[in-house]
This record gives sequence, structure tokens and C-alpha cells, in this order.
Amino acid sequence: MAAGANSDWIGAILRWLEGTEAAVYVAQSDWAFPIIETIHVIAIALVIGTISVVDLRILEWASAARPYRQIAAEVLPWTWATFCLAVLTGGLLFISQASEYFGNTAFRIKLILLMLAGINMMTFEFVIARDPAWDRDDRASLLGKIAAAISLTLWISVVFFGRRIGFTMAPG
Amino acid sequence: MAGFAEWLSATPLSIAIQKYEWLTPLLQTIHILAIAMVLSSAFMIGLRALGIMASQSIAAVAHRFVPWIWTGLALLACSGIVLIIGEPQRALVNPAFQIKMLLVLVAGALTYGFQFSLRTVGEQRKIGLMTMGFAAGFFLLWCAIAFAGRLIAYTQPA
Repeated sequence: MAAGANSDWIGAILRWLEGTEAAVYVAQSDWAFPIIETIHVIAIALVIGTISVVDLRILEWASAARPYRQIAAEVLPWTWATFCLAVLTGGLLFISQASEYFGNTAFRIKLILLMLAGINMMTFEFVIARDPAWDRDDRASLLGKIAAAISLTLWISVVFFGRRIGFTMAPG
Repeated sequence: MAGFAEWLSATPLSIAIQKYEWLTPLLQTIHILAIAMVLSSAFMIGLRALGIMASQSIAAVAHRFVPWIWTGLALLACSGIVLIIGEPQRALVNPAFQIKMLLVLVAGALTYGFQFSLRTVGEQRKIGLMTMGFAAGFFLLWCAIAFAGRLIAYTQPA
């Protein structure tokens, strides 16, 4: 933990988070942390699994015979639902040791990768997937395929740096 | 088992695995990605069996996702075995690990049984209550396996 960060307003917010009732409960209960962590792992597993179904379809490595729009409409709502669950459980884990997590390099890299995944997804959804050629041939453009490959790479990296957090943090 | 774990931790292979500090998180990452394959496949089959996702027949959904369950299981076994060789005492003598292995055996048998039962289902659209219960139970079983796996880290002898 960088000593400087604790003295400014970010440090104040982090300490306030650690003092909330939910944070104290997660930090002190024997069972809360492992249970929330398991739900976090399951949620992330489902985010990655469902997004892979869509990405692999875009890359035409799987389900190539099914219309892209049908797969996206069926699967992506579950990606969003499980992503919300991952953020919620991740938030609870975070506030239990907010200053420690905030100062952890692996945690920071994970957050940056998540933001990049978000930007990639927005670009895909609002620019690349709007291409009328997509509906005509039901095939992604090269840009679409690059976005799918970036998505898979980013999510795999998110798991790696998520796991690194546990190896690089002082036990709470 | 404790003696075997102690012997294993002294083997050259185990010592080699212990030497690379980045290897364990890397293997755990592969392990989690394999869990993603299995859990998401079970989830997709479950959603179809419960009729929530119904654009394809259950046979088509199973054909799409059951191979991923087997691939995921193989990856889990490989990465899991290397992790155990690297840290035998962490897992082998741990009750959470032993329960996990028992649940994995049940899950493997159920996957095989499910695949077998689908041979008679064919392309029919109607799904029996048995299949529904099975698909929901199968997903929950994998959630329990994930929980037991995470518990290994919390039940280390002091």
C-alpha cells in the first residue's frame, strides 16, 4: 500500500468503505468471505463462458450455422446478469479490505483490463455490429473478429490477474 | 495419505513446481477457465432443459455443450494434478478436497448418464421432469464443487 494514498481523499473514502457495516461483517465473519468469493468465481465463470459462446460464434469457431443475432439475444442477457453478480460480490470482497486491494498492483491491472473489455464491448455493440453487411451475410467483418479475439484475451487476463491478487496481498 | 503427501512433496517434480512462483497462479487460471467451460456448459443445458432458452432442441444444445464439459473436465484434472504435485499437503489430506473429489466423481458419472439418456431423446421438443430436475441439479452440483474447491484454501492446517 502506497503510504501517500492513505492521506488524501481517496484514502478517506477507502477507510470509510472499510468501516461500513457490510465491510465489517465480511471481514469478521468466518464464512462470509469464502461464500462470497465462491459466488464471485461462479459468476465470473459464467460471464466468461457465455461471452465465449458469442465470441466463438463471431470468430466462426463454434455455432457457425446459427444466426449471430439469435445467439446474442439468447446468451448476452445472461452475461450481463452474471456480470452484475460478479460486480456485486467483488464489491463486497473489496470493501472488506479496501485500502489493501486499492494498493495492490494485480487488482489495479484487473480493473484496467475490465475497463478495456468494457470499451471493446461498447465499440463492438455500437459501431461494428451496426454494419448492415452483418445482417446480409450473417458474418462478422474483420474488425468484428478482432473485437471478439480481444474480448477473449482480455477476459482470460482478467482471471489471471484476479488470481494474482490472492498471491500478492498480505492476509487480512 | 499423509505419508504419501509428504513423500510426494519431496519428489524432484514437486520441488521443480514449487520453484516457479508464477506457475501456481498460472495453473489456477487454467483451472478457473476450465471451470468456466464446465459451469457455463451445464448452465446452457440447464436453461434449455427448463425451457428458458428454447430456440434449439435439447439434443442440439447437448451436442453443442457436452463435449466442452469433457474438455473442461480433462483440463481440470491435468491442471489439478500438477497443482497437487506442487503442494500435496495443501490438498490430499484436506477434507474439503476429499469431498470435492467425491462430488467430481458423481458429476462425471452424471455427465455420462446424461449423454447416454439423450440417445433415446433424439430431436423431440418435450422435456420430461426428470431431465429438468437433472439439468438443474447438475449445475448446482458444479457450484458445490467450486465451493469445495475454494474451501481448500480456507481449511489449511495451521
